[in-house]
Amino acid sequence: MRNKVLLIAAMLVLALSAAVSAQTYHFGYVVQDLGNQFWLTMSHGVQDRAAELGHRVTVLDARTDPNRQLANVEDLIQRGIDALLLSPWDAPSGGTATEAANKAGIPVFVLDIGVSSGKYETLIVSDNYAGGVIAAEYMAQLLGGRGDVAIIQCQLGYEIVSLREQGFEDRATELGLRVVAKQPADSQRALGMTVMQNILQARPNLRGVFSCNDEMALGAIEAIRAAGKQNDIVVIGFDAIPDALDAIEDGRMTATVAQRPYEIGRMGVDAAVAYLKGEKLESTTYIPVELVTKENLADFR
Amino acid sequence: MSSNLERSASPGIRRLTSVREVGPLLGLIALCALVSILSPVFLTTSNLMNVLVQAAVASILAAGVNFAILTGGIDLSVGSLLGLIGVLIAAVFKSTGSVFLAVATGLVLGFALGLLNGSMVTVGRIPSFIATLGTMSIARGLAFVFTQGRPISSFPDSFRALGAGELGGIPIPVIVVLVVYAAAHYVLTQTPFGRAIYAIGSNEEAARLSGVNVGWYKTAAFGVSGLLAGLAAIMFTGRINSAHPLAGQGYELDAIAAVVIGGTSLSGGEGRILGTLIGALIMGVIRNGLNLLMVDSYWQQVIIGAVIVVAVLIDRRGRAAEGAAVVK
Amino acid sequence: MEHSSILLEAEGIQKRFGGIVALDGVNFAVRSGEVHGLVGENGAGKSTLMKILSGTYRHDEGVIRVRGEEVVLGTPARALAHGIALVPQELDLLPHLSVMENIWFGRYTRRPGWRIDWNDLRERTRSLLSRLGSNVSPDDTVAALSVADRQMVAIARGLSHNAQVLLLDEPTSTLTPREVERLIRIVKGLKAEGVGVVFISHHLPEVMELCDRITVLRDGRYVGTYDRAAVTAEDVVQMMVGDKAGALYVKEESTVGEPVLIARDISSPGKLHSISLTVRRGEIVGIAGLVGAGRSELAHALFGNLPRTSGSISVNGAEVRIRSPRDAIRAGIALLPEDRQHQGLLTRMTIRENTTLAALQQFVRRCRIDRRKETEASRVQIDRLAVKATGPEQRVRNLSGGNQQKVVLGKWLLTDPVLLILDEPTRGIDVGAKAQIHRLISELARAGMGILLISSDLPEVLGLSDRVLVMYRGRIAAEFDRREATAEKIMLAATGGDRA
Repeated sequence: MRNKVLLIAAMLVLALSAAVSAQTYHFGYVVQDLGNQFWLTMSHGVQDRAAELGHRVTVLDARTDPNRQLANVEDLIQRGIDALLLSPWDAPSGGTATEAANKAGIPVFVLDIGVSSGKYETLIVSDNYAGGVIAAEYMAQLLGGRGDVAIIQCQLGYEIVSLREQGFEDRATELGLRVVAKQPADSQRALGMTVMQNILQARPNLRGVFSCNDEMALGAIEAIRAAGKQNDIVVIGFDAIPDALDAIEDGRMTATVAQRPYEIGRMGVDAAVAYLKGEKLESTTYIPVELVTKENLADFR
Repeated sequence: MSSNLERSASPGIRRLTSVREVGPLLGLIALCALVSILSPVFLTTSNLMNVLVQAAVASILAAGVNFAILTGGIDLSVGSLLGLIGVLIAAVFKSTGSVFLAVATGLVLGFALGLLNGSMVTVGRIPSFIATLGTMSIARGLAFVFTQGRPISSFPDSFRALGAGELGGIPIPVIVVLVVYAAAHYVLTQTPFGRAIYAIGSNEEAARLSGVNVGWYKTAAFGVSGLLAGLAAIMFTGRINSAHPLAGQGYELDAIAAVVIGGTSLSGGEGRILGTLIGALIMGVIRNGLNLLMVDSYWQQVIIGAVIVVAVLIDRRGRAAEGAAVVK
Repeated sequence: MEHSSILLEAEGIQKRFGGIVALDGVNFAVRSGEVHGLVGENGAGKSTLMKILSGTYRHDEGVIRVRGEEVVLGTPARALAHGIALVPQELDLLPHLSVMENIWFGRYTRRPGWRIDWNDLRERTRSLLSRLGSNVSPDDTVAALSVADRQMVAIARGLSHNAQVLLLDEPTSTLTPREVERLIRIVKGLKAEGVGVVFISHHLPEVMELCDRITVLRDGRYVGTYDRAAVTAEDVVQMMVGDKAGALYVKEESTVGEPVLIARDISSPGKLHSISLTVRRGEIVGIAGLVGAGRSELAHALFGNLPRTSGSISVNGAEVRIRSPRDAIRAGIALLPEDRQHQGLLTRMTIRENTTLAALQQFVRRCRIDRRKETEASRVQIDRLAVKATGPEQRVRNLSGGNQQKVVLGKWLLTDPVLLILDEPTRGIDVGAKAQIHRLISELARAGMGILLISSDLPEVLGLSDRVLVMYRGRIAAEFDRREATAEKIMLAATGGDRA
């Protein structure tokens, strides 16, 4: 009898919790720039996953304006949302927006970039460190585990991006490659070329280059071709932008590392739902990245 | 003789004129009514303060740009000046720790850069569109050169006060906007400077031949625009808690839109500063309302554009009606 | 000459603009191989007639015949098709295109495949220009040419339409004497080819030298057509001026005192040549002359709005440095400009704001404009000048021309000037307002103001002035005392007819 009562009570609780899980949430997603393919793809991930689960999501574009970003967050707070997904313009402005949501008691889920202040439930981001690692492994394989290599850095001061070069440097050193040069080229193609020219002058025996983004890698291959060394130097970029894929296809570039913005977007929704159901989250969730070479190029077109 | 005529003044002319002058205000009221029907959240005190704070930076910029436009010119540089001044005052604060020095730098620098714009127009005889287009690019570039593209962030509340502080429960940006508009209104309606600005915008040649020091006043009008861009930079940096070289990109167009929606003629000489404030608020309410109503970002651009066109259209018709009424 | 040689004939032409009759019953005929001069005062209707004959305007009444057949012109294209080409005073060329593109614009010869046959055009342009004895290249850009060469291009363009009648509106007004000689040679050449040339000029010596017949217009009416040999320059002037006796407006006597303005040796390159003049207290000095003689330029030079290369200006006996309108106003000079809309009025502002603009400092206390004092002052001007308006707050764009002019005048009276320069103060103003303004000018002089009155309205100048200076080509050509001045003498000096 008692057991029966307990059983019924347990069933009721289960039923209630099922009802709770069937509840629809309303999410807000504030994204830095929908004019950029990367962020657009991520927002599709957010929208598609929310639709699959039957939740509502409002996507607001900050259009690369930190003030608009903050205003969007404030408006969503006024409107009343269950959780805020945020792909910040940069870490400091993302922090200000996160603090605004904190004040209103709305949980924050950060998709990429990161925030430099405020409290968030989880950061979902590409495993940039692992991206550097797989680039190093592929390069070591091609070079037979020895030789001088260089790193072209993005703008300094962005923690997440700097993980790429750390991953590369750590793993390359383990595998016997020698990192003989590290220089920043501000994420730009033209600067990538200049920087590469300088490195080639100083390091005639260079066998490989890892660039923290594809733009700089594309600049670097121009410098390498001008020096007539296109067959001697391995070039690996990051981001898998269309120009880089073209360069890999016709053999000017060796490989690049692809992020999966669509997955990040979907994971963001999953994380928010899990949190609202009371599950514990890791402070950072890493989304795996993939190496793109001539062989698997077609999958990334 | 004239006093007789005065008494027999056609009331129709007066009424039409006043409809044109309060037109933007009626538009704002109608807009607020519409949004509050569609979204119950809109009329809450916290949301209304929210709108005012969000519109503060754009309102300040628009007040400045209105000075330039009233003289018959245009100032495209204010958004870039905001970006450049923002990173410079952030750097001044970071290296000296003095809020006063940072604020003073922002205001002085803004005024000086505005005067530079004005001198290019008056002394250099470069059309203001071109001169300020140049400054727009130069200031943006210098902001990047100065910061190497990196943001400067994290400030104490004392530095953030003008952008994010409160005074007696009222956000300081709202107070700043009210003070700036009250001052601008006084200057434009009560002082020789204001009179000169309208006279130059109405007919520059006639003003010059009447002894108005056109070069001086025009330069000063651009100086005011720059000064307020400096103030906006201080508020912006405080609000975002970060100064980025890209800050304020495209804000010049928002400011011009606010001025136009507020009933100021782009050819100069006509328009009231309070209309500009209403124009800025209309843009703020639209953005806030559309966000509350969960309208896509893409549609927001479409709607803002449509509002600008419709506002000018209504203004034109009002003007035509006024002209017709008088020709009778 | 035989009747059959008449190329173009206009009979009983009337043209109205709104309520104003610009031309009334005008007859005009051009024969093959003649140069026909068309003369008259400013506003006599010469340019209007040219625009009707070239199809720019439509006439309201009258008949136009080409080679004896009645035609309707109506558009410039139709006029060209009938062989009538106008070379306007302000040349209507496309400055950034080449000479040949200008001449053949819209009529390019094409080769198969829609390509323009530039070689053919170049050849045809060259032969046209050589007919005019011009050495301009077909490929030159028009903007790079001198005024005289541009005029050649405009004439060549007319001839390219096989024009039989060429209308030249003030062709010599912007040319140097050497260029005028060349133009006259070309006109004589065209005449020999059988082209009929209509020649409008303010400069009688040219007309008397070049023309075979002369038609005179006065106040939009036809006075007559005369063979050159049958008239003298004095006769022509007499006909242009007509019977101007019984001037409506006569200045009241006032005591002429010390000089308020002494200007010496005022020069401005290409516009004014060493002009000296004096205006005394209570004196009205009239300045007559034809359009382009430099009258407005003189006014602007005295007012600091036209750079001078030489000259000195004294006001009330003290030499003053005047380099801007502000300097001039400070020295006590006021200028009522000729172009009311562009130089006088703040069209979007109120009567109050317009009247106080030049004297605003009077109303400023501690950086603030005293609105009440301002309104009061502007009301005083409205009453004094009898401005028909609803009050100081009415916008000036809604006033009639005469009332607008009174507002501008009121603005200057508030500055309390010692010298008032009036540039065409009554042009385009109704008769009533005109009389009021004349009375006011006279009163101001009696109150001791010195007045410089520029006007194309000869009765106005004759009626109001104590002295009349006549300008011709940037110089003062003659000076007449009130008692000796007549319309004929003035017009003779103004057209250079006294040198013919």
